[in-house]
Amino acid sequence: MTELIQALTLGLLIGGVYALLASGLTLIFGVMHIVNVAHGAFLVLVAMLTWWLWRETGVDPILASVVTTPLMFGVGWLLYRTVIVRIRGESVSMSVLLTFGLALTVEGLLNVTAGNKFRSATPGYFEESFRLGGISLPKAQVYGFLAAVAVLTLLYVVLTRTWAGRAIRASAQNPTGAALIGVSATATAALAFAIGTATTGVGGSIMSVLYPFFPASHYDWISRLLGIIVLGGMGSLPGALVGALVLGLAETLTATYSSLRWSTLVFYAVIMLVLLVRKQGLFGTRLREDVTA
Amino acid sequence: MPGLLTRVTATARNALTNRPRAVLGGGWRATLYTGRGRARGVLAVGVVAALALAGCGDPPSARSNDSSKPLTIGISLPLTGDFSQPGTQARRGYEVWANMINAEGGMLGRKVELKITDDASNQDTVVADYTRLITQDKVDLLLGTFSSLLNYPASAVAEKNEMLYVEPAGGATRMFERGFKYLIYAQPATAPKQADVMVDWVKSLPADQRPKTAAYPTQDDPFAAPVIETLRKELEKLGVRTVYTTTYPADATNFQTIASAIAARKPDLVAQGAVFEDGVGLVRSLKQLNYSPKVLFQTSAPSNAGQYSDGIGAANTEGVFYTVSWNEKAKTPLNEEFVAAYGKAYNGETPAEDAADAFAAAQVLQAAVTKVGKIDQKALADWLHANEVDTILGKLTWDETGAPQSRFLLAQWQGGKVEIVAPDDRATTKTVINPKPGWK
Repeated sequence: MTELIQALTLGLLIGGVYALLASGLTLIFGVMHIVNVAHGAFLVLVAMLTWWLWRETGVDPILASVVTTPLMFGVGWLLYRTVIVRIRGESVSMSVLLTFGLALTVEGLLNVTAGNKFRSATPGYFEESFRLGGISLPKAQVYGFLAAVAVLTLLYVVLTRTWAGRAIRASAQNPTGAALIGVSATATAALAFAIGTATTGVGGSIMSVLYPFFPASHYDWISRLLGIIVLGGMGSLPGALVGALVLGLAETLTATYSSLRWSTLVFYAVIMLVLLVRKQGLFGTRLREDVTA
Repeated sequence: MPGLLTRVTATARNALTNRPRAVLGGGWRATLYTGRGRARGVLAVGVVAALALAGCGDPPSARSNDSSKPLTIGISLPLTGDFSQPGTQARRGYEVWANMINAEGGMLGRKVELKITDDASNQDTVVADYTRLITQDKVDLLLGTFSSLLNYPASAVAEKNEMLYVEPAGGATRMFERGFKYLIYAQPATAPKQADVMVDWVKSLPADQRPKTAAYPTQDDPFAAPVIETLRKELEKLGVRTVYTTTYPADATNFQTIASAIAARKPDLVAQGAVFEDGVGLVRSLKQLNYSPKVLFQTSAPSNAGQYSDGIGAANTEGVFYTVSWNEKAKTPLNEEFVAAYGKAYNGETPAEDAADAFAAAQVLQAAVTKVGKIDQKALADWLHANEVDTILGKLTWDETGAPQSRFLLAQWQGGKVEIVAPDDRATTKTVINPKPGWK
């Protein structure tokens, strides 16, 4: 029984972090129909920045996101205005090509500047745990999970309670209608892309503590994150959360009761089963496809 | 025509194998460079067929023994691409050797000239490179390239042309299952036998001090998994009870569940087939659970010195065992000179293991040429199959397939540094930390 509870809690903690990492990816797709393959590379970039800040100044890696988040917001905004905007209205495959190019650029830059080495930030708590009865909760994972909840809540509030957020959602659901009532498509898209990229600020900082990374780590992450948002429904924030929790639980439950080697298979099997029944994913809607078609 | 076929199969294959160095998701990953791993998993189908076509040319049974010309040694190395880091180290090892031998007047009274080409970490190119070195440049001798992935097809070109092929890397079991007569692997042991020296150490303990139980988690990796499997079987023969085994995929990132399972079974020994980040991940997770085994062995992860101690915290490295082919402090013949010459040539850097392995491969070739006294490929290969060669890695001997029959070094982290604790003739210290202290 303890084993089951341990597996479930760990699965939820891991899933929460995955949800945070995937949130920006799904947001950007939802609003702009851009599959941002560079999302993983941005995460690794932030992880590297965070590691460097932590090593040079000793600042707590998760707190360092106070610096990296606005920085990545700026990077996202600038990238949208200078590069991404040029493929607006083009097919989704164009966005995959373009952002893959961005990912390779980031990877190459990191290789040259930071070197092809594994890094990981190791603040004092990185290998400590909270203990509840027989259950052990790794502190870093718990902090990561809390940060994930905070960021996801904030994103939800911004999207539903602010004018800018409503504009983003309006553009996502009906671009023509939104334009008619005075929502600037370009400004909204730039904002959404910037917010989506800014989520890598917190995500990358947590990654730097939880997972050793090196410049090419982003391939691993982007495949995992794309799996999550396909399962949850591309463009849906709650979908990303549920998809991520499913992946986290699939990992810990298969590892506990069978072998970790099957966990990837179990996760993709779940995706296939879901897509057989709901081709838009768990929380995806068909509306957007209809509008853009 | 046949060339076209070669090109097509090779291109398709490269699409699968020629990935950025490391871990891609699931099925299409290329094995991470392990520091000793050397073999990248997938040795594609069709390589052998491609080689049969690529290796046409006159077999150079006996090349000119004209002493006025330099003795040329053909080498192709991954100087760019996925394996560029180890490839560059191997090149340095070869060059340090060539400079040292030329300072002494060369081999057979002839100056040695290395002809090094770049195969861009690509199986297709490495085959073309060695074919050209043999048939067009008509080099006198060959030395091998880096990784099993590249040595597998390259050694087949050499075999086809009946030329001795001494390789500094490429210890995958499959290399030696082809019955090649001209292949020699210049490291102490093949992949599955890397941990024999660990078994010897356990054997050397008084029966009541040996670990009683053991857990064997391993990455699903062509290098890590066979090491751990052999280790498990050998330790079981010594009466060490296996309480846990598991295999995890290369893209596994969370090790808490494996750590929980291990902690629940409380094994005395944990032996992990760890490439790198998985080794760090498991130690961290074990520490989160506050479970410290009495003996911890990991295959490759601890050999990445700075990256490993940064990842788990320097204090936690104390007592961790791993195996390695070479050590800078080993008292083997020429080792000190090699380290000094390397430092002199490359801004005072310490050679990487890969540079030392290349230097040793060149030493093996040199020993054969000097003893045989002429360039006769078959005689050189026969001599190596029958004799022992003293290298900076220690004494090496080979069976008829070219697989080495020696022992790796057993290394242990002690006081933030790496010491060699076995075998005795190459040990840098007599102290062995046992049991491992708890986590700090």
